Amino acid sequence: MVLDAFARRRQFVVFIVLCILALGVLTTQVRSPEQRRIGWLGVAVQVVLAPMASGLSRIGDVVDRGWALITEIGRLRTENRRLAAEVARLREENAQLQDAAQEAQRLRSLMAVRQQSFRTVSARVIGRDPSHWFNTLLIDRGPRDGVRRNDPVVTSEGLVGHVIEASGGWARVLLVLDPRSAIGVLVGRSRDAGVAEGQGQPMLRVKYLSRDAEIQPGDQVVTAGLGEIYPRGLVVGTVVDVSRGEGDLFREALVRPAADLNHLEEMVILVAEGSQASR
Amino acid sequence: MIRYGAYLLLVAVGLVLEMTWLGRATIVGVAPDPLVIFVMVVGLIHGSEEGALVGAGVGLLQDIVTGVPLGLGMLADQVVGFVAGLGGGVVYIESVWMPAVSAAALTSLRVGVWALAAHLVGLLGGPLLEVVRVDLVTACYNGLIAIPIYHGLRSLDRALVRFHEESR
Repeated sequence: MVLDAFARRRQFVVFIVLCILALGVLTTQVRSPEQRRIGWLGVAVQVVLAPMASGLSRIGDVVDRGWALITEIGRLRTENRRLAAEVARLREENAQLQDAAQEAQRLRSLMAVRQQSFRTVSARVIGRDPSHWFNTLLIDRGPRDGVRRNDPVVTSEGLVGHVIEASGGWARVLLVLDPRSAIGVLVGRSRDAGVAEGQGQPMLRVKYLSRDAEIQPGDQVVTAGLGEIYPRGLVVGTVVDVSRGEGDLFREALVRPAADLNHLEEMVILVAEGSQASR
Repeated sequence: MIRYGAYLLLVAVGLVLEMTWLGRATIVGVAPDPLVIFVMVVGLIHGSEEGALVGAGVGLLQDIVTGVPLGLGMLADQVVGFVAGLGGGVVYIESVWMPAVSAAALTSLRVGVWALAAHLVGLLGGPLLEVVRVDLVTACYNGLIAIPIYHGLRSLDRALVRFHEESR
């Protein structure tokens, strides 16, 4: 009779034990620095699945490109004219910037400012996190190419995020929009310091700005270079709205990321000079 | 063992598809989640205990592969498997509309449990309306794709059980 009663309740016991186990795993994860730690088992799963994801992703890219070719011919002609005009303008601007860069180089050497130098490793996206609120990407470069945990990732438009896991020929990138991401930033011409936090939504929220900060929509946001991950001066995005924060002690700003994080295909990883590729 | 091996293979294929192709097939920014339908089928056919166990395994694998903190998907999917198992004794399993309606309801439950757990541990601070929007869209999307997936998985499960019995 006792056994019968146990058999009847066994499913509930199993369910409750599993719930406790899942909550235990979750709270342990949330306490870890990156709020995620997958261990050797997770790495093994990724090692098996990453090549499959890479193959399917390539097939998907080919299909996407074929479809785009068919649908975009008319638009491309107009775009081509616009780009030709823009190239001319950018050539002129480039000449001015080269002058400015040389001047900056001279001043930097005068001030003996030491900045860590990076080499770049280009990477392709092979997998995305399908959940709506967290934002990570799987890329086809890893320790084999010199990529390490905490390496910053950028596109030509701006900052993408940083590497949180890497093994063999793959790495996982935590995007700046992920709720687990927080970056020290400088805002606007006044260079007010704040912390840009992801919200799992298309905008970043810059917190802890001084209440007297002179910030307005359109101001550029760049990395402050205060932590150990991001170098100074990487473009994060543009301010779209400014408001008073909690208790009016600080101001807050909503920032649209400069990089198009929803349509990323290729990106560049900034690998610290001296980091060797593992064989 | 063969049945669980086949499940593992199916889940691996499902996970890779979710990461690559299904991530591009979004409706108003929301991707479908066919693995919820897989957990539902296991729960409906094999009961709530197996549903919860398979759900926990699928959810954990999903967490590992997709980059979210481990435990979120595990909790949400085991609830789906358990509830599907409880519902297996109540709903008429042969009904034409059962897969679509059940998949929509269980997907909605999964998103709700997932968002609640993420909120409780401080990972999700977004507006409630956004959670409701994603919940409804994912539920409808999964409801749309549920009928062929449900019948395919059920046929496969029957074949695996038959194979297991014949090989005894």
